Amino acid sequence: MSERTTIDARGAFCPGPLMELIATLKLVEIGDEIDVLSSDKGSAIDIPAWVEKVKHEMVGIEEEGDFWHIVVRKIK
Amino acid sequence: MTPPLFILLCSGEHEKIQMAAMTASVAAVSDRPVEVFVSMNALAVFRKDVDGQRYSGGNFSKVMKERNVPDAIELFGQGKMLGEMKIFACSMALDVAQMELDDLVEDLVDDAGGLTKFLSDAESGQLIVF
Repeated sequence: MSERTTIDARGAFCPGPLMELIATLKLVEIGDEIDVLSSDKGSAIDIPAWVEKVKHEMVGIEEEGDFWHIVVRKIK
Repeated sequence: MTPPLFILLCSGEHEKIQMAAMTASVAAVSDRPVEVFVSMNALAVFRKDVDGQRYSGGNFSKVMKERNVPDAIELFGQGKMLGEMKIFACSMALDVAQMELDDLVEDLVDDAGGLTKFLSDAESGQLIVF
C-alpha cells in the first residue's frame, strides 16, 4: 500500500523545495508519493524537470491559491 | 551519468557564492558529479568562525537576507549529502591567508587541493567560474 507524504515548503525559495523533496525521497518506499507544497514559481517548473531527468514520476501539479501542489512518485 | 561539473569559486560576493551553491547542489542532486575549488576571497566565506555576517554583497544580497533564501553553506552541505560533490580549498589561498583546513566549516571541505590537479580533472567535464 503506497503512502503519501506532504512537505510544506511554502515560503522557501529555489532550490529549497527541490532539496526538501530529494531528502524526503530518500526516506520513503518505492511507490510512495510526495506532495510538495511550494509558493516558489520556479520550483513548479524545476521540480517536474528534475523528476524527468532522474526518472521518478510526476503524479500531478495543481495550483491552489498562491501555492502549488507538486506530487511526485518514487520509482527507484 | 552526465559529465562532471567543475566550479571555480573565487569571489567572496554573496550573490556569486549563492549562485555557485545553487548550481553545485542542483547539479549534484541531478546525477551530475561536482567538484568545487574554493580560492581567493571565497575562502573566508567557508570559515568555521566568522565575525559578524558570513555573507556580504550588493543590493541583491540585502534582499536575499531579508527573504527566506536558502543559506549558501547549507546548500553546499545538502548537495554533498544528497548527491556526489567534492569541495577543495585552494592550498595557495590557505597559505596566503594563513589558514588551515581546520579553520573551515566542518564536514564540508574535503581536502586542500592544487589548481593544477583541479584543472587537469576539469578536462573531463565543464568548468564554470564564479
